Amino acid sequence: MLITHLNPLAASLFSLLAIVSLLLSFVMLGSRWLRDYLLAFMLESWLIGLLSAAVGYFDHYRELYLIALLTVIFRGMLLPYLILRIIRRLDVDRELHVVLAPSSSLVVGALLVIFAFMVASRLGAQLGLTGTVAVLALTVMLSMKLIGFLMLAVRHEAISQILGLLVLENGIFLGSQILVPGMPLLIELVILFDLLVVVVSFSVLVRYLLAHVGSTSSRELKRLVG
Amino acid sequence: MTLRDILLQIAQVVTVLLFAPLIQGIILQFEERIQRAQGPGILQPYRDLWKLFHKQLVVPKSASWLFWVAPVVAFTCMLTVPLLIPVLTNYPLPLSDMADILGGGLILTFGSFMILLAGLDSGSAYGGIGSSRAVMLGILAEPALILVFVGITLLAKSMLPFVVNHLLVRQPAVYWGPAHLFLVFAFFILLLVETDRLPVHSSTHIEVYMIEEARILEYSGPLLALLKWTAMMKQFILYTIFCNVLTLPWGLSIQGTALGAAGAAVALLLKMVLVALIVVCVETAQSRLRFYRYQEPLAASFLLAILAIVANQLR
Repeated sequence: MLITHLNPLAASLFSLLAIVSLLLSFVMLGSRWLRDYLLAFMLESWLIGLLSAAVGYFDHYRELYLIALLTVIFRGMLLPYLILRIIRRLDVDRELHVVLAPSSSLVVGALLVIFAFMVASRLGAQLGLTGTVAVLALTVMLSMKLIGFLMLAVRHEAISQILGLLVLENGIFLGSQILVPGMPLLIELVILFDLLVVVVSFSVLVRYLLAHVGSTSSRELKRLVG
Repeated sequence: MTLRDILLQIAQVVTVLLFAPLIQGIILQFEERIQRAQGPGILQPYRDLWKLFHKQLVVPKSASWLFWVAPVVAFTCMLTVPLLIPVLTNYPLPLSDMADILGGGLILTFGSFMILLAGLDSGSAYGGIGSSRAVMLGILAEPALILVFVGITLLAKSMLPFVVNHLLVRQPAVYWGPAHLFLVFAFFILLLVETDRLPVHSSTHIEVYMIEEARILEYSGPLLALLKWTAMMKQFILYTIFCNVLTLPWGLSIQGTALGAAGAAVALLLKMVLVALIVVCVETAQSRLRFYRYQEPLAASFLLAILAIVANQLR
């Protein structure tokens, strides 16, 4: 594995990008407005694209440049554009019924990061990777996944839930870029198209909700229909 | 322990004592200037202190001995902390090993705890409100502060401010690393909160949302002057820690000559003016948060400290 003997500059660049994307997922967790949410997600995707280009440059994987380009186009432009269209059509600006106030969810998110930190350092110690960028990437990956789950759990708006799913997926993608940079191109492409399918099916769901329930909040979906 | 070291140590305390009102004056004057007003001049805090020291002392009937003791104890705490931190020299002076960063934080907190008791002591409604609000803020700020200390400890493998200073000067890779930068941001938010700056509460006098001023509303004359001076010194000390330990660790006296110490004092003032400019910009751009949203900047600070700890994993 190349991650164990990176030069210090590359390691600090990777860690900076990873940590800033974690910070951006916290921005998403702490903001009230759906549009801020979307901007943070967009920026995060751009950073992840940058990260895969950097990994490609330092580890000499040619195909990662292509993946970086696809990431920026799909996650950084196309998906935010599609979601923005849904937001415009809905005129829902913000999360109306918050289960957890933004500051409390920040603190819960921070506790989740501590949990991820402990898991990752335990794993890193067992694999003999302590002190390398791999442990950091593992921490960031696990904590972004947990934050995605948290966002899915505490938000009701359909849009927030799409974005929670996308953050979750961004976390996995970020981790995979650093941990297994030579992942076949085909799998990456499949993942990107999967995301597109996720967003499209969610927008169908949103339309259905609007037509039949009258609101896009999942709080209304309590009744079981057999 | 030489005579020079003792003199330097005294010089550190005197620097904090004398220049604390100057920094306060500079911040207030800059703010006025940014708002296109004339401003009272940077020496106004000195004139205020002079005036208050020559005023009559009025003591409420309900006040106990605590009312008299609290300002003196708080002032003494602020005189003690400069012994422990690098104000002028970048090497430990004879009494600097009395306490580490946590110890210094404990002394600072003890000073504000005494003022808090004094606010409750006279039994006035405003003192009680001020004290309870201050405790609330303390409860919110303390976890973030502890985590910042943990982050610093993990970064430097030591709790002594001098070690942190040396590490940051010697290794630019650590200085520009994410762990250190996140610690700086986390500490900056705490700095704003602890020195009464805007996103949380401004230090305007007599109004409904006052916190710091409400605790000392009963005081007058020389005791009030002592309390005001204490607040300014606390601000100066926190700025010193922020500049000399965390953000701008350069420009301290290495050999401890008289010229070097004087140069370090000037450099410290320049660094503080730089920090003060940033603080002034924040204060001008930010509006005050509602009381029930005070936890938001502090939650952000908590979070940044945790991210700094996570980023420490790299090394």
